[in-house]
Amino acid sequence: MAWARHRQVCRPLDLVAGAAPALPGKSRTETPTAIVIAARQLNRAAGTIATSVLIDSAMEHYRGNFHNKAMWTPIVTSLFSVAVSAHGVSDRRHRAHRVRDAVYAAAGIVGLIGTGFHIFNVTKKVGGFSWQNLFYSAPLGAPAAMSLSGLMGFLAERVRNNRPEGEPRVFGLPAARVVAAATGLSLLGTTAEAGLLHFRGAFHNPAMLLPVTMPPVAAGLLANAAAGPAGAQRTASKVWLAATAAMGVAGVGLHAYGVSRGMGGWRNWRQNAFAGPPLPAPPSFTGLALAGLAALALMKEHARD
Amino acid sequence: MTEAPRYPGYDVLEKRNTPSWDAVTRRVIDERLATPDKPRFLTEEEWDVADALCRRIVPQHGEADAVSLVGLLDAKLLGDHGAGFREADMPYMREAWRKALSALDGEARAQNNGRGFAELSDKEQDALLSAMQQGRISGERWAGVDAKSFFERRILVDVPPLYYSHPKAWNEIGFGGPASPRGYVRLDGNRLDPWEAIEASPGQEVKAERENRRVV
Amino acid sequence: MSSDPFAAPRARGGRAPDVFRRGAWVPMREYRESDKVDFAIVGTGAGGGTLAALLAEQGFSVIGFDAGAYFRPLEDFASDETEQNKLYWNDARVVDGPNPIQMGGKNSGKAVGGSTVHYAMVSLRFRPEWFKSRTTLGYGADWPISWQEMWHYYGKAERQINISGPLTYPWGPKRPRYPYRAHELNDAGKLLAKGCEAIGIKWTETPLATLSAPHAGPEGRSPPCAYRGFCRFGCTTNAKRSALTVWIPRALAAGAEIRDLAMVGRIETDGGGRASGVHYHREGAWRFQRARNVVVAGYAIETPRLLLASANQQFPDGLANSSGLVGKNLMTQSNQAFWGRMDEPVRWYKAPPSLAITEHWNYDDNKDFHGGYCWMGQGPLPIEWASVQTGSRGLWGDRLREAMLDYNHMIGVKMVGEMLPNEKNRVTLADDFDQYGLRVARITYEWGDNDKALIAHAIKQMGRSIEAIGAKDMFAQDNDTNHLGGTARMGDDKRTSVVDADCRSWDIPNLWVCDGSVFPTVGGVNPALTIQTIALRTADRIRKLSTAGAL
Repeated sequence: MAWARHRQVCRPLDLVAGAAPALPGKSRTETPTAIVIAARQLNRAAGTIATSVLIDSAMEHYRGNFHNKAMWTPIVTSLFSVAVSAHGVSDRRHRAHRVRDAVYAAAGIVGLIGTGFHIFNVTKKVGGFSWQNLFYSAPLGAPAAMSLSGLMGFLAERVRNNRPEGEPRVFGLPAARVVAAATGLSLLGTTAEAGLLHFRGAFHNPAMLLPVTMPPVAAGLLANAAAGPAGAQRTASKVWLAATAAMGVAGVGLHAYGVSRGMGGWRNWRQNAFAGPPLPAPPSFTGLALAGLAALALMKEHARD
Repeated sequence: MTEAPRYPGYDVLEKRNTPSWDAVTRRVIDERLATPDKPRFLTEEEWDVADALCRRIVPQHGEADAVSLVGLLDAKLLGDHGAGFREADMPYMREAWRKALSALDGEARAQNNGRGFAELSDKEQDALLSAMQQGRISGERWAGVDAKSFFERRILVDVPPLYYSHPKAWNEIGFGGPASPRGYVRLDGNRLDPWEAIEASPGQEVKAERENRRVV
Repeated sequence: MSSDPFAAPRARGGRAPDVFRRGAWVPMREYRESDKVDFAIVGTGAGGGTLAALLAEQGFSVIGFDAGAYFRPLEDFASDETEQNKLYWNDARVVDGPNPIQMGGKNSGKAVGGSTVHYAMVSLRFRPEWFKSRTTLGYGADWPISWQEMWHYYGKAERQINISGPLTYPWGPKRPRYPYRAHELNDAGKLLAKGCEAIGIKWTETPLATLSAPHAGPEGRSPPCAYRGFCRFGCTTNAKRSALTVWIPRALAAGAEIRDLAMVGRIETDGGGRASGVHYHREGAWRFQRARNVVVAGYAIETPRLLLASANQQFPDGLANSSGLVGKNLMTQSNQAFWGRMDEPVRWYKAPPSLAITEHWNYDDNKDFHGGYCWMGQGPLPIEWASVQTGSRGLWGDRLREAMLDYNHMIGVKMVGEMLPNEKNRVTLADDFDQYGLRVARITYEWGDNDKALIAHAIKQMGRSIEAIGAKDMFAQDNDTNHLGGTARMGDDKRTSVVDADCRSWDIPNLWVCDGSVFPTVGGVNPALTIQTIALRTADRIRKLSTAGAL
């Protein structure tokens, strides 16, 4: 029932989306092709990251008392990103969607602008670019997550915008490699952000080492899989990416445990949920892992020998 | 004090049942608020002089929620809750207070045609206290406790903290109040946690009061 | 419902309070008074508490006596300045001299855990040259320990206390990374930083003995600092790394006994001139505990008081006093401040008071006086702040209430300044008696010319930094002191010192002093870390001496 309602919601969007011409030979009612499946996986990745950004930016900007009106922007753009990602996940067509494209592009740009804001926030404080300000002022890597969700969504549309047969390409390059590269770099960047904050926490719990070890290995395996022929590495990559995705989910539980370790525990949530480890942050790794799995799926379809 | 309240409508007691207060703090503040307003250590005469003295050291001109500082002083002396040490030329806290209250009353009578300290006008009381602070009061009457030392080391040390130990004073200055288990998240002066006092900018008292009533 | 910590001792019946869990207990080994324990330690603070843990872990039998109560922070500590005066030494004392020291919350705790229960957690190292002040810098007295050895032990102390500090430290030789990261600065800290930058000197986040992340160690499960701001009135969070949360739990786990509400009034010596035990008052009666060694760790007032009060026929001038120096060379540290009002709110009541610090004038010798000082941010709570208004500015009446309205806009910096040893500054026995029937301490103090020159310089420099950030209505607080030291000084010559480098008294080989009394100089930094570090070294030395059969 929910799915049917979902299609009802999507139809008005289709009307709005307009004019990209339908590719010949395919209609919405046939089973989705491998390319579409991969694209939808990327929409899912984008949506996952956007959900993380939505809640995280809302909480962190609430903590910042929305002292600058611009702090509402990421909440708006990530909301739209979540919405269009949900739309994309159920879309079987072989073409990019203009509204989705626009939202994802906007998310990407807003993320970059946000990074600029955060850099300014850090450097204007006494001490400038210091450990104190990197630890405790606006987190430099957080707006980038918005850009990453935009990037993955944008790639979803580019992947989707290919013929059903033949190797899908993104800006003329093999789609699998582009997505793998984007995912790998994104994983490393997100690891750096998590690593900075876990370093601030002095890695007081061994589990805090997970997000600084697992994702880089995933990135390495993914790069290796994209560079070379198909085969055993991809199984390892798939397993490791799945584990990284699970790590992102487990991270929420671990952060909840961290919140409970604050003075007063959950009863003092108005302090500990905001001063303690950010609950919505870890699933950004899950989203990136999903993108990596999409890259693997694209590789599988067009394996070289 | 005629100034408009800086933190209108703010009341730390509104946070009594929030995580900002814990059980032991509630018990302690309840006890303080229930301090009997009658002498248990001081004699009736000493109480009258001390009452008048406290009203000059921390005036609360006709304020509806005025705190009985003499009651808190009496309780402090009863429990002997001082820092314990004495200056070489002064007696310990309790004895110092008894001696000085008597000397102060005698000084008042000597200078004001037999009117005791409690019977003087505000201005006359202030004048006598200022004279103590400036070292212009001495004599036989003060042999056991030097007037200037008593003013600086006992009056100013013992009395103002009584006022600033009371929630009324905390509200007045916008202090966050008790803070356990809940401390503070936003550590900057202009970034407030929702449980902190809102300061009224000039002309914005009504708005601040409305916001302060929601502080919890 | 928790018992009253003052009504009756809590550490008895085979158990002691578990300060980390409400209503819980940890097992505690108990000794009989007739047992000749290896070490009877008087005082369980930065010196005694640390040593109790380390000696117990080495397998010695240890009893730590404390006149104070065994607090349960989670249940006994209120968020209230007045109530929490109970942490301080409020017993009778006499202060005199031209600059009488104001005793209490600035320098004297009374609790299991000592003054570390209420201190502001500032954990600084002595500048290396200070250990040879006389030979390298031309003032004071030399310590009989090298700076290299002390800096080695500082690292161990910082690790075990779990200090939260900056990743790089602007002054002194390179030091190992602090175990936890520095805390977030509040506005008071940021304004200190701005002031320092404006006048061209460095600043840093203060290394603090309070957790910036949950505690990972086996001996405690503490939450991190909740930024309550009541640090000097007892940490209910247990994020504060006091002797009560760090060393005493270790001591208990290693088989030490703690006796709270136990005031040691006299150390007994035997016919052979050795310490034989301590007389202590507990539960309404005087008792005696036999011991092989007695360590006095009551800090700079109570330690000499006890040594002097233990005078007997063989030692008519008090124990360990052949040099005549017990009680002499009392030093405090200058604690002047500079305050002002900012247009923007500061709200310094949030977070520990001294999150930022500058040690510039500890390391810059371009001055015409001896010694150094640091200054750090402040966050006085209402009564503390009212006391500055009355004490420094003499305000009362309407003017006091009006001045207090600016509470949330105030800013200030406060110094910790070196004062030089002077034999005239001393602790003696007065003819007053306290509630235990013991003669109280008389504390006599006068500032010297060098002290005054240092203070004048500091007030001027602090004033420059406060002015540079645009504060208005500025004023100096020019009469305040804090930490103590010196009254049982350490040295390498028994004629000019009370104890040797191992904290062992020259006169009585089984009588030791392990607290701030042993400092030959106090330096321009808060002493707590150095006291704990001396205890670490002393424990190592005792182990070596014991192995060599020299105990």
